[in-house]
Amino acid sequence: MAAAAAERFLRRARLDGELVELLQAVLCSPKSPEQIQVLCAAILREMSPCNDLILSCDEIQDTKLLSLVSSVLLAQGNEGEVAAVGQHVVKALERRLPEGQSALFLLPILANVLSLSPGSLTEEQIDVVSKKLADWLRYASIQQGMAQPSGGFFSSPRTKQPAPITEVDGAVATDFFTVLSVAQHYTQDQWLNVQTFSMLRNWLLCYGGKELNTLNPGGKAGVDGSAPPPLRAAGGARRPPPRERLRDKAFQYCQRLVEQSSRRPLKKDDGDLQKACLIEAVTIMDIICKQDSSYVCRAVSFLKILHSRICGDASYARALLPIAQFFLNHSKLAAVDSDAIYKHLFTDIPAQLFHNPSLAFEFVQFCKDNSQLFTDSSSIFRQSFPNLFKFLAWNSPPLISEFVDLLPFLLDTDTAIEIFHLLLDLPCLTAALDIQLRAAALPASEKAGADPAGKPATCLEAFHHPLYKSSFQYLLRTQSAPEDAPESLVPLRQLLGSLAGSPRVVQCAETVPVLLELFFRVVTELDVAGTAETRVGFQFADGSLINQLVVLLLQRSDQLYEIPAFKEDVYRVLGSQLATLCGLRPALLVELSTEILEFSGAVSNIQSKEAIFTHLAWAVGEFLSVSHDKRCTVEQITRFFETLEAVLFEITQLRPQASTPSCAPRAISVLMATLTKLAARSQDLIPRVSMFLSKMRTFVQSPAVTSVYCEEDLEEILIRATELMNLLKMPSVAQFVLTPPVPSTQFQREVNDSLPLALRMVTELLEPAPGSLPV
Amino acid sequence: MVRALVLLAAGGPAPCRVLYARAFGTPPGPGAGGPRPRLRRKEQLLAVARQVASQCQLLQSSLGRPSSPQLPQLPDEPMSLQDAPGGLFQMPPGDPFPERVTVVWLSVLALAIALVCEPQENLSLAEITLRHLAPRLLLSLRLLGPGTDVLLHPDAADSLLDRLLPHGQMLFLNERFLQAVDRELGIKASR
Repeated sequence: MAAAAAERFLRRARLDGELVELLQAVLCSPKSPEQIQVLCAAILREMSPCNDLILSCDEIQDTKLLSLVSSVLLAQGNEGEVAAVGQHVVKALERRLPEGQSALFLLPILANVLSLSPGSLTEEQIDVVSKKLADWLRYASIQQGMAQPSGGFFSSPRTKQPAPITEVDGAVATDFFTVLSVAQHYTQDQWLNVQTFSMLRNWLLCYGGKELNTLNPGGKAGVDGSAPPPLRAAGGARRPPPRERLRDKAFQYCQRLVEQSSRRPLKKDDGDLQKACLIEAVTIMDIICKQDSSYVCRAVSFLKILHSRICGDASYARALLPIAQFFLNHSKLAAVDSDAIYKHLFTDIPAQLFHNPSLAFEFVQFCKDNSQLFTDSSSIFRQSFPNLFKFLAWNSPPLISEFVDLLPFLLDTDTAIEIFHLLLDLPCLTAALDIQLRAAALPASEKAGADPAGKPATCLEAFHHPLYKSSFQYLLRTQSAPEDAPESLVPLRQLLGSLAGSPRVVQCAETVPVLLELFFRVVTELDVAGTAETRVGFQFADGSLINQLVVLLLQRSDQLYEIPAFKEDVYRVLGSQLATLCGLRPALLVELSTEILEFSGAVSNIQSKEAIFTHLAWAVGEFLSVSHDKRCTVEQITRFFETLEAVLFEITQLRPQASTPSCAPRAISVLMATLTKLAARSQDLIPRVSMFLSKMRTFVQSPAVTSVYCEEDLEEILIRATELMNLLKMPSVAQFVLTPPVPSTQFQREVNDSLPLALRMVTELLEPAPGSLPV
Repeated sequence: MVRALVLLAAGGPAPCRVLYARAFGTPPGPGAGGPRPRLRRKEQLLAVARQVASQCQLLQSSLGRPSSPQLPQLPDEPMSLQDAPGGLFQMPPGDPFPERVTVVWLSVLALAIALVCEPQENLSLAEITLRHLAPRLLLSLRLLGPGTDVLLHPDAADSLLDRLLPHGQMLFLNERFLQAVDRELGIKASR
């Protein structure tokens, strides 16, 4: 609705055709001042796409105007317009420009055309432009430009010798001009050098491949797709084809940039540019090597030296990523062992620099781009997942969606348990990282301060304290270590409780429920078709993994970081996942009966972990039957019955002196339903349940209870109790209704679904799934 | 290439406001003419602005700084923004652009500037470009002075972008080149 209103508004907020024509005329008129031209172009762009546009590049000689007009034309979203602009710009580049005009304004237009519609240029044009780009890259002037004559008083230009360009550290340059060359004033061709390098990567990606006749049939390249024959220059020397020549000049340029990046800049901001240039240079070298493998050997040795130069310098950490990517792409070809590079990247960098948000983002992108690396369980990549989570723990808001994409690649049968613990302790990790940073910032004198015999007074003291040291080390580990899990992280969690309110910890805690849900989805592999094929070697999570997870789930519910909202959310997720797991594998109710009975027998659990308890109780009622698992004996059912009955008794009894333990009405309803279901399967229990249910009326009407619960909830409980009681008066119907047979084939499922709907509806009415109960 | 630049007011509890936005070229698509593409463009940029504002607030709170509604006076020279909060995040395909984009943003006082970049762009260069653009944009738009004439100088913003981010092309400009650009723009302004 809002979109329709906005559309109506925009339809009205148009300029009529006459005004548009006028704007175009003013834009193109040579008499208009520049400011007005800029404004006209801005207005026309804002209105695009515009049907009344008659603008075209054809008659325009002035390159500045061409730039303005192109910006309007390229905003139209019309492929033909884009191509026309591209053609015009290339023609302007080809011919000698009129006096006073500069090619400076043309290259960015070309770059934009390239990104919008690469097919706009013919093969021949690509060659022509490639040649010019190569010249601009390599042969820019190595002398500084002259100051623009300002006119006015001192109108006679002083004839001064132009000074040579310098490097960023002040030394006189001894090689060709690059973006890292410094001058007081710059010449035209030096500006062109900057622009050429700035668009070089995209140009090579688009057009740098072997000379191909794919894009435009009008091209003059060899019809069969082979490279055009090399031109013969006057001296008889053989010149390489333009694209090959551009690759060569580009490679040299990148090598020079890498050398220049080792210099210490006089101006601090130039240091940042050096690093950006380094990253760009390595990326371009990677592209060149992909396009022409003859460069690989040269590049490999060169980049290995670069890597050893920068790997110890934290300020160059971001440049390690394209270097690693290069080796991932090419080391096989060069038969080079680059394991040390990956090891350093995945072991040291995240541990030291997790707090750098840009590095964190790029590192995770790197992992996503190379996700196939994580499928090999023994590889350094997969083993380092605890390190990767540090990025998320510290920079949660920007990285959570990236981790949602990445997590499935980290999960496998051998990592699942450890990752489960890690996810539940993610906010703890954030707190621990905070302590680690603060401890590192302490002056050396304070670091040894803590008295090892006594208890640490603050988290910071605890960091080095023997009581907590190993726990911290485990939490902050860089490699997967499932066997090294300390006895319990409970003391550490308690210690870190003082940081539970810190904003960063809270932000991290908010990401955990999402990741937990994803975790279970992947681990249970419900979507078999999509994931099984992409996950080499991963089997459907077998029974033992699911059982382990259920046991851990119940255990960990007591051992969570003390943030109330966090615990509530985690319980909610764990509860519903528990129900799903029981549904997937009902056998676990029998196999893990001890643990489940222990959990469901504790009244405190129904109060503090209501979501988990309720879902568990529901699952017991739903799936504990001989039709789901042959081993489910009458004794089993009776044991469960008695345990749950005791709990229900505890929470519904009315003691005059002690207060009734209050719990969610939903829990009461589910318990009643579960007991009824169990009784329907072991009919000796029916009298006990019926008696119990009949007492519910007294319960809901007692004053102690009416003050705690609201009227609708109590009424709901009473209705439920009555319905269940009535159902139990017809035991065979109850058994049928409350334990539908397990369908084993699709056909049977369909048959069962078409059974008398009335009975189905009775079932639904009597005990819908816990999630839909009114609370 | 940079797909778009967005300048927004992100401070405080009020919803974010887009002060200035510039798209660099529209990808050719099957969309018909009429107001739809223009509406889509506006909504896309607004979606970016909202995300930037939210990321900015989250980062500010995690750094323990309250977002300041008061705007102090801007110093005369371009200031160094080394410690200004900023970040990177990705927007998935379809939401709001048809293909994946990476957004690089920088926050200055109560404002934020964001570049919407194509995937696989040099993000270090994007951050540098933002740090070059931010003080110059604020100065030329006189955003932090009294009055609300920020909307009356789109030509100043466009002239600046034509030199520092022409047609969305980020440039590897070292300090001296930047000074040359400043000289040129400074000369223009006084004419």
